Amino acid sequence: MDKIRLENVSYVYNRGLPFEQVALDNVSLSIRAGCVTGIIGHTGSGKSTMMQLLNGLAEPTSGRVFLDGYDINAKAEDLYEEWSALPEYAHLSKGARKKAIRREVARRRAELCFRVGLVMQYPEYQLFEETVEKDIAFGPRNMKLSEEEIGLRVREAARFAGLDEELLQKSPFDLSGGQKRRVALAGVIAMRPEVLVLDEPAAGLDPAGRTRILDGILRYQRTTGSTVLIVSHSMEDMARYCDDVVVMGDARVLMQGERREIFSHTQELTDAGLDIPQITHLVRLLRERGVPLPENIYTVEDAVLAVQALFAE
Amino acid sequence: MPELFIHTEDLCFTYDAEGPDAQPALKGITLDIYKGEYVAVLGHNGSGKSTFAKLLNLLLEPTSGRLTVAGMDLTAPSIGEKELLELRRNVGMVFQNPDNQLVATIVEEDVAFGPENLGIPHPELRTRVDEALEALDMTAYAQHEPHRLSGGQKQRVAIAGILAMMPKCIVFDEATAMLDPSGRREVLRTLRMLNREFGITILNITHYMNEAAEADRVIVINDGTLLADGTPDEVFAQRQRLCEVGLEVPQCTELLCRLREAGIDIPGERISSAESCADLIVAALGRHAEKGGKCHG
Amino acid sequence: MKNVAFGQYYPADSPLHRMDPRAKVILAILYIVCTFLCKNAISFACLVLSALVLVVLSHLPLRLILRSMRPILFIIVFTSVINIFMTKGEHLLTPADWRIKIYAEGLWNALFMVLRISALILGTGIFLTYTTTPIALTDALERLLSPLKKIKIPVHDFAMMMTIALRFIPTLTEETEKIMNAQRARGASFSTGSLINRAKALIPILIPLFVSAFNRAFDLASAMECRCYHGDEGRTRLKVLHYRASDLVAVLLMLSFGVGVFFLNRLGIGPHLS
Repeated sequence: MDKIRLENVSYVYNRGLPFEQVALDNVSLSIRAGCVTGIIGHTGSGKSTMMQLLNGLAEPTSGRVFLDGYDINAKAEDLYEEWSALPEYAHLSKGARKKAIRREVARRRAELCFRVGLVMQYPEYQLFEETVEKDIAFGPRNMKLSEEEIGLRVREAARFAGLDEELLQKSPFDLSGGQKRRVALAGVIAMRPEVLVLDEPAAGLDPAGRTRILDGILRYQRTTGSTVLIVSHSMEDMARYCDDVVVMGDARVLMQGERREIFSHTQELTDAGLDIPQITHLVRLLRERGVPLPENIYTVEDAVLAVQALFAE
Repeated sequence: MPELFIHTEDLCFTYDAEGPDAQPALKGITLDIYKGEYVAVLGHNGSGKSTFAKLLNLLLEPTSGRLTVAGMDLTAPSIGEKELLELRRNVGMVFQNPDNQLVATIVEEDVAFGPENLGIPHPELRTRVDEALEALDMTAYAQHEPHRLSGGQKQRVAIAGILAMMPKCIVFDEATAMLDPSGRREVLRTLRMLNREFGITILNITHYMNEAAEADRVIVINDGTLLADGTPDEVFAQRQRLCEVGLEVPQCTELLCRLREAGIDIPGERISSAESCADLIVAALGRHAEKGGKCHG
Repeated sequence: MKNVAFGQYYPADSPLHRMDPRAKVILAILYIVCTFLCKNAISFACLVLSALVLVVLSHLPLRLILRSMRPILFIIVFTSVINIFMTKGEHLLTPADWRIKIYAEGLWNALFMVLRISALILGTGIFLTYTTTPIALTDALERLLSPLKKIKIPVHDFAMMMTIALRFIPTLTEETEKIMNAQRARGASFSTGSLINRAKALIPILIPLFVSAFNRAFDLASAMECRCYHGDEGRTRLKVLHYRASDLVAVLLMLSFGVGVFFLNRLGIGPHLS
């Protein structure tokens, strides 16, 4: 089942101005529900623009974005015909029906940013509250949840993000870089989004920090069965965490599919300007020297097994 | 005998030393760095590696211990305004966020900022700026506005600005952390070039293992103390110790170590680059085949 | 928003663009004086003519210039109305029994005032904003005002602050946009609700923005220290400004224009500003 579908989506910055720039050019793709999908591409390939289209922060210049089969940018007028036949609207008078449909479209639109949670690049720069707890509660509070529910969600989100309970009363500005990043992640997770979209969640962190935040994301995904999209240019992280991979380049989708399938196209990936993991580079060097290893090795674990097999012969 | 450039003896630094929340960041570092070396300083966030960098040109003052840079005793009371300028001319520094270190609105004027402060007169000033831009391959962008450049380009402008001061040493304080892979490659190429062609001593403070593998020497700082010091091969051989303090080793090193742990005999010390690892594996496979052949034969 | 140039500098290669920015500051001041010297129809005609010459010399599209007049439209209309209805003179245009009396002098006054305001905006716009980058302007002001350093006015420091502000405006604009998007993604809304609620809604933007601006300022200060910045003592400049003969000619022309206007005002021909 597809959670998200993009149909012929284009996005143009500064349309009609001399510095017009096409960020997405007729992009079509689908994201499987309950999976971790990596969106990978070099800077300027359009991947960051795409994520803003998914929760309605930006509207495509043309084309449609579907969440659970519903066009998130649909206008009430366009839906009138189709929805009139539905039981909840059929019995209403024309005027009341129009009004009800308009209300429903507005409601879906408003709830979109809670259903599709967006964690931007360097999200620690969005923290503003006096305490970590209040900051994480910002999203749930905007959802107009009860105080009790908010408290519950803050604690749950902090657990997912790997934040100790005692951090909750601290000021977010007193934390380390990695902790701040995880507070920002918790702030989005606290809205319990069905889809979690992250732009370079591990950028700039040290190895321990990287592992901690990516594990937190995975913990949320595994526990709640939500759909996760990670935008990144690190193939090493993609190889470790993603089920599916979408490769972007020059505002287009170059490839999409399951990780194994995509990662077997080593040459195309290099051509798309991506950095192949060092281990893949090593395997390639070995193959060039006649060592019979499979081409699509992207993790150290796979490489250990493959080389061990050679020595076992 | 190479010339000594940086010498530290039991160097300590404590943030807010007199205050109630005194936090020791460096707890006694003793090391020597020679002229023309390319050194990577590894450590996780908060290990004290950035503090170490900031001491080298007196952005921070040592709390105790000795620190000599370019023959100047930085802990001596005789350090005044004039000495400070001389030190900072000798030891340039490039920071993490490319946006926060560019001052001017035009690339070439930013590159000129350092030499202008040093009072370099015309026409030398013009020559220095042009040569620095040329060395960093940014001549075509001389008249551009910095905020329209890519991250890697911005960092190159920042480096050009330091190079135009003709320093003996450049310290890169996580200068690649905010860049994408291509930007990182650009900057790393530049580091190598500055070291080889200009003979500049390079200190690259980083937490990327692949970057450290490119240096001639790796220093690992953990919790304010020196954890390891040696060639990349020597340092990465201590994989267990590095992992214990939250660091990794390059994937190739990781592979080799794990194979060895699994009882496979792959001898050799050059374990930090993909090329040398490939050599070791091929050699080991050759020996393995020979042995196997003998058995079967 | 990312790509909108700050200021209204219009890149082109015209005689005015090439002129020394210091000369342009002087010319702008002289031009302002000239607009105030104009008193009668002939001198105002010359003013209109000079404005046309400036437009031609600047290579700016007429559309741009007209657009720059839009913000002052209200002032133009307002002064016209005041002048038309409030000026008393000898040549009554409306029938004598009307309550509202309009005099020919009033119409002339209105026309003169409109011309004066327009020329003022046009002149400063062409000299100081459209053909001069903000940074060149800062530079010119620093150098023109440098004699004030002798009486301990920190001209250089002000210029440096201005330069840094200009450098960081695009960066902070982009940052504001990013923060707004991040908070919107957490369900914040900036455009609905009462005035108080809207002001409250700004907190999640302003606090991160201030924090980041302070961090940037701190980083920048370190970077500047590392690059040996220590005020303007002993500082040289990459950019050398040279007055050229054409700059001198332009200033002389402007001066003679002023003198000309001064004498034209003495001629008692035609209607004049009362």
